[in-house]
Formats: sequence, C-alpha cells, structure tokens
Amino acid sequence: MRNPRSQIALAVVALLLGFLVVAQVRSQSSGTGLEQLSAQDLTLLVANLNTRNDQLRTQVADLGQQLASIDASQANGETSAGQLRDDLVRTRIWSGIDPAQGQGLRVVVRGPATVGVVEDLLNELRNAGAEAISIAGVRVVPATIAGGTPGALSVDNSLLGDPFEVDAIGNTATITGTLTRIGGLVAQELATNPGLAIEVTPADQVLVPGTTRDLVPHDAKPRL
Amino acid sequence: MSGVGARLRSIPTWQVTLFVALVALGFLIAAQLRSETPRVEYTSQERTPLIQTALSLQSEQKALQAQILDLRDRITTAETSSEGSDALVKQLNDALFQARLAAGLTALEGNGLVIQLQDAPQAAQAAGGEDLLVTGLDVRTVVEELWLAGAEAVAVNDERVVATTAILDIGGSLLVNSAYLAPPYQVKAVGPADMSAQLASSASWISFVASRAGPNGIQVSIAQPADLVVPAYAGTVTIRYAQPPASPAPSANP
Repeated sequence: MRNPRSQIALAVVALLLGFLVVAQVRSQSSGTGLEQLSAQDLTLLVANLNTRNDQLRTQVADLGQQLASIDASQANGETSAGQLRDDLVRTRIWSGIDPAQGQGLRVVVRGPATVGVVEDLLNELRNAGAEAISIAGVRVVPATIAGGTPGALSVDNSLLGDPFEVDAIGNTATITGTLTRIGGLVAQELATNPGLAIEVTPADQVLVPGTTRDLVPHDAKPRL
Repeated sequence: MSGVGARLRSIPTWQVTLFVALVALGFLIAAQLRSETPRVEYTSQERTPLIQTALSLQSEQKALQAQILDLRDRITTAETSSEGSDALVKQLNDALFQARLAAGLTALEGNGLVIQLQDAPQAAQAAGGEDLLVTGLDVRTVVEELWLAGAEAVAVNDERVVATTAILDIGGSLLVNSAYLAPPYQVKAVGPADMSAQLASSASWISFVASRAGPNGIQVSIAQPADLVVPAYAGTVTIRYAQPPASPAPSANP
C-alpha cells in the first residue's frame, strides 16, 4: 500500500472507527439514567437518597450496637435469649406475621373505588413510612393484591365492602400529611374518580392484625 | 469461476482492508444511532452538581447496604454460636431464622423467572411518548402477576420487594425501596416449578402484555434460568411506632 491517498483514507477511517468504538462503549457503560431527569426530579431524588441514607446509617449503627451487645453477653458467659427475643418480636411485626399496635391513621374509602385506587393508596402509605398496614382487617404483606371491579373489590380473596377501611401504623403527622397535602394522593384520586370519597383520620392507637398467609418459602431455598 | 478468483486475488490488500474498515464503520454508526437514548436529555447547568450529588449518594447507599448485610450475617453467626446454647436459645434461633425468611431478610434461590421491561426503541421520536416508557405501574403490575403465579420472593433490579416496599416514578425512572433504578428493569422471582405456566395462563398477564407490549409499546422479555438468586432486603427493619398489642391477639402463624 504505497499510494499516499489510500494511506490517508485508511487513517481517516481508522480514526473514525476508534472514535465510534469509544463513543459506543461509553454509551453502553455510563447509562445511569440520571442525565434524563429534570432539575426538579433530581432535587427530589437527592432528597430521597439523603433520607434513605440517613435511615441506612441509623440501621448500621443499630445493628453494630446489637452485635456488640451479643458479643458482650457471650464474653460474660450470659445467654443471648433476651436479644434473640427482641429481634424475633421486631422481625415478626415488621414482616407482618404478628399483629401490631401504635399511632397512625385510618382511611375510609366510600364509592366506586378501583383496584388502582387501592394499590395507589398502599403504595403511598408505604412510601410515607407506614410500618404496618391492613385493609378491611387483612394485613398487607408483599404478596397482598387487590382485585375485582368497583363495588366488588377484594383483597387476598376477602371482599371489601363499601365503605372499607385502611389502617396504618407510623408517624401520624408524616403519613397523614403525605396523603392529604395539596396535590397529594387523596386530591389526585378524588379528581380522577367522580363519586369517590376518602376520609383520612389521624389516630393515637391503631390495631393491625397479623397475616393469615404463610410467608415462609417452601420451594425456594435460603442461600446462606 | 477461476476468472473470478483470479480477479479477486488481483484486488490490492489495502482495498480489502479499507472495505472491511468501512463496513465496520457503517455498523458502528448504525449501532450508535440506535443506542441514542429515547428519553429527553436536559442540559441546564444547575443539573451537573445535582447529578454528581446523586451519584455520590447512590454510591454511599450501596456501601451502607453492604454493611447492613454483613452486620446481619455476623449477628446471625454470633446468635447461633451462643455459649448458652440451651433449648430456649435454640428454639429462639430457629424461630428467628423462620421470621427472617418470611421477612425477606434472607437471599433465596431456586426455580426462577426474570421479566425484563424496557422502553420502546421509538420512544424519543413518537409524540406523547409516555406510553412507550416503562412506568412504576408497569413494574408494579409485573410484580403482582409474579405473586399471583406463586412467587415466593421478588426483586426489581435486585431491590427485594418486602412489606414496606413502595415503587414510585421519578422522571422516567423509578424509586424502589427509595433506591434509584434506571431502565431496563429486571423483575426476578423464585418459586414453584409451575410459576411460568401459571403466569402464561393468567388472563390479567395476557391482557397486560397485549396492552403494553408489541410493536407500538414497551419491550417485555422473559427468561427462565435454571437457578436464580433473589437477594435479601438490604434496607432498614427498624420499627419505631408499631409495638406488640397490649393483649396480643392470637397470631395466625406459629
């Protein structure tokens, strides 16, 4: 290949090829999705991540303390039964196995509620930090699903009446504020579902039952 | 034929090289154009520090999650190797193991399904492209369909779905367990061997796929790996307000 023109052509093509390979690799590997968010969404995301990281730091500190406490008990030759019992009570309430009681709220839904209304409500309560939720006396666990049509809704095969109640335990001010704020979930549902009525009442004490489901897996195996 | 062969052999090597390079160039240009993101990209200056902050917080979140999983493992090890391993301690340890399984605090493996949801390739060009983007509602629907099919554990991009999990839209992406997730979304589930058959025969699943997927919708694909792992929940299990009832109602489960 002694022709200088062909050498130049090949060099230009090689250069372009290299540039495109780099661009392609970068576009495949740097897809965080953040570049597609608006400044408003990014601000919301940063606030969410900050809150979540604060919670995770607290959890790390709590778990560190728990581990230190077990180690100290063992060093003194004491049994760890007390710590185990505390851990068991907390885990069973959190998972939905056991009933729970505490401050929170009651939501009463009247009228032609759809499955979407029920699911949006549950999702928003979880997002607001509710620690335990029930619908019409049915404890909400991960696999709890609403079904049916307006007037014949059901949750976990238990028919919802009209009206039906949703009880949630959590910081009363936070979860009530999240649901009832201007432009919040209640306002949105009322605007898009004519005839629907949603009443939110803060409560000092709410009782949420334990689930009737068996939450322990039988086919999948623990990976220890 | 020999004439053609002789003619091919007479082509200079540099021309063959240039031809191959040009073919590769064309392929890469096409790939680059296709991989152009279908979502709107914002370019304002104030976003750069926000993106940097978000990336740094995400990285911190991953590290904290890893610490939580490690501490839980160490606590479990310490509890099960307790010196006072009498009958009561053993009984409590067994009960705690079952409770952690039920709560999603233990990774599970077994028969699995992975459903991937991806934006439609033509989302950027189409007017009113929101229908072509995967939404939180789509992911929630898939998670519910998997529960209905008998799933025993579900995770979205490795965020385990537990009792407190919310799935929220943020821009064109999602927050799951308050963790930021960008598409594509892989919803993993482990459960019984007939989970795939149950899903395939579900009228609501068929309706979802018919209404949301296809040439003018999002991309839905399913894989059925022989052995799948759904990770443990790596978030907070702190309860501040929920307490055992003063006079506990009998629990439905042992």
